[in-house]
Amino acid sequence: MDSNNDEALDIIVTNVVATFRTRCHLNLRKIALEGTNVIYKPEVGKVLMKLRKPKITASIWSSGKIICTGATSEEEAKLGARRLARCLQKLGFKVRFSAFRVVNVLAVCSMPFAVHLVDFTKNNRPIASYEPELHPAATYRIKNLKATVQVFSTGSLTVTGMLLSHDHTHTHLPSLPSFIYS
Amino acid sequence: MSSRVCRTCGGSDIDVDQARGSAVCTGCGSVLEDNIIVSEVQFVEGSGGVSSAVGQFVSADGPVKAPLLGSGFHTGVGKESRAQTLQNGKRQIQQLGSQLQLNQHCLDTAFNFFKLVVSKHLTRGRRTEHVIAACLYLVCRTEGTPHMLLDLSDLLQVNVYILGKTFLLLTRELCINAPAIDPCLYIPRFAHMLEFGDKNHEVSMTALRLVQRMKRDWMHTGRRPSGLCGAALLVAARMHKFRRSVKDVIGVVKVCQTTLRKRLTEFEDTPTSQLTIDEFMRVDLEQECDPPSFTAGQHKVKMQQLEQELARKLDEVEGEISCYKEEIETELEKSRPKLRGIYAAYAKEMGPSRTTADPEDEDALSSPADPEDKEGDDAALQAAAQRLTQDFLRQVIQEEEGGGAPQEAETEGAGRPAQGAPLASILGNASLGLQESFHTFEPPEPDQNPDGDPSPSGELDLEGIDDQEIDKYILNEKEVEVKTELWTKQNADYLKEQKEKEERITKEKEQGTYKEKKKKYKKREHIEAATAGEAIEKMLERKKISSKINYDVLRDLNQPAGSPASEPPGGAALVPRKRLSRRRRKAGDANAELSASATVMTKRFRRLISSTPRKKKAAPQVETAVAMETASEAVPEAPPAAVPDAGPAPAEAPTPLETEEEEEEEAEEDCVSALQLVGDYGCEEEEVF
Repeated sequence: MDSNNDEALDIIVTNVVATFRTRCHLNLRKIALEGTNVIYKPEVGKVLMKLRKPKITASIWSSGKIICTGATSEEEAKLGARRLARCLQKLGFKVRFSAFRVVNVLAVCSMPFAVHLVDFTKNNRPIASYEPELHPAATYRIKNLKATVQVFSTGSLTVTGMLLSHDHTHTHLPSLPSFIYS
Repeated sequence: MSSRVCRTCGGSDIDVDQARGSAVCTGCGSVLEDNIIVSEVQFVEGSGGVSSAVGQFVSADGPVKAPLLGSGFHTGVGKESRAQTLQNGKRQIQQLGSQLQLNQHCLDTAFNFFKLVVSKHLTRGRRTEHVIAACLYLVCRTEGTPHMLLDLSDLLQVNVYILGKTFLLLTRELCINAPAIDPCLYIPRFAHMLEFGDKNHEVSMTALRLVQRMKRDWMHTGRRPSGLCGAALLVAARMHKFRRSVKDVIGVVKVCQTTLRKRLTEFEDTPTSQLTIDEFMRVDLEQECDPPSFTAGQHKVKMQQLEQELARKLDEVEGEISCYKEEIETELEKSRPKLRGIYAAYAKEMGPSRTTADPEDEDALSSPADPEDKEGDDAALQAAAQRLTQDFLRQVIQEEEGGGAPQEAETEGAGRPAQGAPLASILGNASLGLQESFHTFEPPEPDQNPDGDPSPSGELDLEGIDDQEIDKYILNEKEVEVKTELWTKQNADYLKEQKEKEERITKEKEQGTYKEKKKKYKKREHIEAATAGEAIEKMLERKKISSKINYDVLRDLNQPAGSPASEPPGGAALVPRKRLSRRRRKAGDANAELSASATVMTKRFRRLISSTPRKKKAAPQVETAVAMETASEAVPEAPPAAVPDAGPAPAEAPTPLETEEEEEEEAEEDCVSALQLVGDYGCEEEEVF
């Protein structure tokens, strides 16, 4: 049963969030005025820059901290971050690429069967929690992996956490069927 | 008293005398006990012949040891704070719980939860209101009462999800597993609110069966239970020939119309809906359905598959045509000028001498165009965007030029082309210059950068980065100017604010009065109102307390006090003025008291009974005010009741009034007659509550 499920389940990584630092102060106004595809939000104090090639949205703060979201894999996230730093370099800032770190990975997976959430929560009592008034899915927190799985009644799952993408597939696949079939 | 055995003679006949406090053996006469400790209630006579019991009041959840004054002061302070927190929490729980009509047992349980929470330090950084609401909801869930989180959030005027977050945290930390919500719990409550009269029970039973059926059909997982209940009740009502419209049900159940409709349609899709009423009551279908979102997903997948098949078939037929299409498109792309974004296109449009600009730009653009295949799509998109924005940009520039030099408006048409020519040449030069600079910039860079790890050295690894594409992300000078103008126009307000702020700061710095202003929490604004009634209304508006308060009754309570106050002829114009200003001030103070309460009525009583600062005034005034609240007819009694008070305590009254009214001239106070005092009392009665 498990091996069948392994083939049928594909976990698709849909979002990777990464941060890095440029180690230099950035003048947001200059970036806003001289870059294409930028949105300047002076009230919050950041600039949103969207790259096209790896489809990435980056929030840039004046302290030099940058958060990149929207990448579909870690390599893409790194590539996008480097492109962004290159772009800033060309604008004239003394940019250095340091402290690149993947912060969060979101993956989506779909089961071929529906899940009865109430029973599921009852069986996995302290780890799973289900509040229909607040959110339609049951949240399942795996402490040792530091990941959260949201189980919907249609059988689709979203996995969030600070795992590397290959970790997702390897560690998650065997654990899933056991949780659900129990 | 247990019978004891005498030590000397062994006799068990012992006489205990309570008055003397001694136990004596009647056999041998030896005294077994002297000064017996007695537990009795003793009374002491106080001043005025009042007898009171002797003793100290020790509360069950107060500090462990009796509050010592003097010695043990340091530990006393710590305990006091905790005791205060718990006391405060208990009070709020009682308040909120009584609004929800929870019984005492539930409130006690909630208080126990709260004590646990406080001991685990989970209240830090969270509003006590939220924590208390979460405790109460936890009790509701464990006891199975039909209260929704929505009700609590309604009472507190807080977002449901915030309360939910706190609630989830509590369940996690306290390791309490709240049983899942069953929609069946809510049905009796909603049925009662929908007022079915005698048939209430039958309708509820039918609705219950419907809900159970829905549960079997997997309609309830992931949905709010209130929505299901609403749908079930609606159907049940119609089945029993009650007319309840969708709006009625929505008002009771607190979901929106769309949700209800959707539930109804989902139920319609299940096979149970095909049964007649009688059949439904008798028979229960064995078959279970899949959840509706699951079936919807499957449906979508099927549709997609169908579409794909169709597309494939079409492709086979149109294979040849597409080949020709592609060839034509590639030809078109080659001939179409490449655009570098909205601003580049616009900048080009400015100059009439496009021929000089074009080849330069084309050279600049064609080189980056080669490696990119997607440029075709982007160019098309950009062309469309450019068309749309051109008008806007033209307008913007027109406004500027028109506003700046109204005389030139006539020669505008001539002006722009004249400007255009030098601009275009600048543009041409600038773009070329920039391109050159970039090209020269690039080759040295890869040599300079080390190939090693980017992270430790901080240098940027350029591998895989297409510099020419990145160049497209950077605008050249002309574009920068245009964008600057647009941006400053858009954010003019914000920039103005910033400038003003800076000016203010520099001015204050010069004056030496500049203070670093930290973010303060907004203090409650002092409400200015002419009468206490107005003040109360304004405060209630602001605080947005529930709409269940009958404002008319509120106003009526104020008026009778107002009428006897206005009766005494305002001999001195000073008196009404004084009265008004006094009212204003005291109304403000009263509001400070009132604004702390959720419901006006219950809190008023407590405030009356427990508040101390005003109680220089004698207790009888409080009593009369209380009496006034309960029966408005008592109000005419108040001034006559006040009159005997005016007698014994005319001396008292002016002094508290004097101390409170600094702004009033004190000389006038002495000349106030007894009648006016009555009027003043009347006005004070108003504001006491």
